[in-house]
Amino acid sequence: MHAARNVHLCTKDCLCLFVCPTGATDTETGQIDFARCIDGCRLCVDACPSHAIYLVYDRYPVKPEKDQDVVAALDALAESKVQQELICSSLGSSGELPEKLAKALALSNRILAEDCTREADFMMVQTQAVKILLRDLAADADRVGFPSEALDGLVKDFS
Amino acid sequence: MENSRDYSSGVLTVVCSNLAKACEKQMRPEASSRFHALAQYFTSIAPHQDSVSLSNLTDRIASDGTSGYIELETAGKAVEDRGALRCATWGKKVTAIHKSLLGRYEKQGESLVEDTNIYVCEACGFIALAKQVPNVCPICKAPSSRFTQIK
Repeated sequence: MHAARNVHLCTKDCLCLFVCPTGATDTETGQIDFARCIDGCRLCVDACPSHAIYLVYDRYPVKPEKDQDVVAALDALAESKVQQELICSSLGSSGELPEKLAKALALSNRILAEDCTREADFMMVQTQAVKILLRDLAADADRVGFPSEALDGLVKDFS
Repeated sequence: MENSRDYSSGVLTVVCSNLAKACEKQMRPEASSRFHALAQYFTSIAPHQDSVSLSNLTDRIASDGTSGYIELETAGKAVEDRGALRCATWGKKVTAIHKSLLGRYEKQGESLVEDTNIYVCEACGFIALAKQVPNVCPICKAPSSRFTQIK
């Protein structure tokens, strides 16, 4: 577990700098240096008067398995929202919808589709569904334009 | 390992763009950019939607309401999957907003979007036509910082 800072909440009172034993909280990017942060230390989390620092976990619990009918319904909705995103973009470029409205609808459909995938076991990278996905994508790795280096990196970290 | 699910390149784009966001939240910028690269690839190979009309969109919105979300609610209730039911609750409301916006555009034309800004809630997809960003999302209660202004 390592500390992370929500810069929108940070009031620059700098108490995290006072308590950090390694200087990990004092960086030019405003983010905490994970390489120096001590696993599970949390001194800065408790010292911060603005509750702007929290812990990010390295390991996550295994989630209960999703029901197949629920996943099937979510997959079907995700597909529908993806199609609507594409239709909206197309209606925006053809002028059938005002450009801004088309963009807003396309983005909104993307968010709806992403939400469906989240509930269908793709909430985060540490799930069984992602492991299966990464395995399956490896079969596509020799296709033209496929970012195989990106996939290799993900397989190495999360399989 | 279990069997694979069958995804279109469009859905794979969305799976990867969502995982990129999830990695950002876990402070994993490298993994996030890798998922972005995969999302870009799947966008590039997705079939284009040529010669589509507004009715294609309204038809899909209607069938999401009469079957897509109903099926999700039925399946979610059967196993008390409250996360899935939450997704259905927000999704139905946002889809109703899409329907209403398209209906208003049909009546008002371009004047619907003149002299107003458009904001989208990044948490649930709610669309606001307003001069100023909403304080809080009426659907999911996310704060104003979660809204993106469409430019």
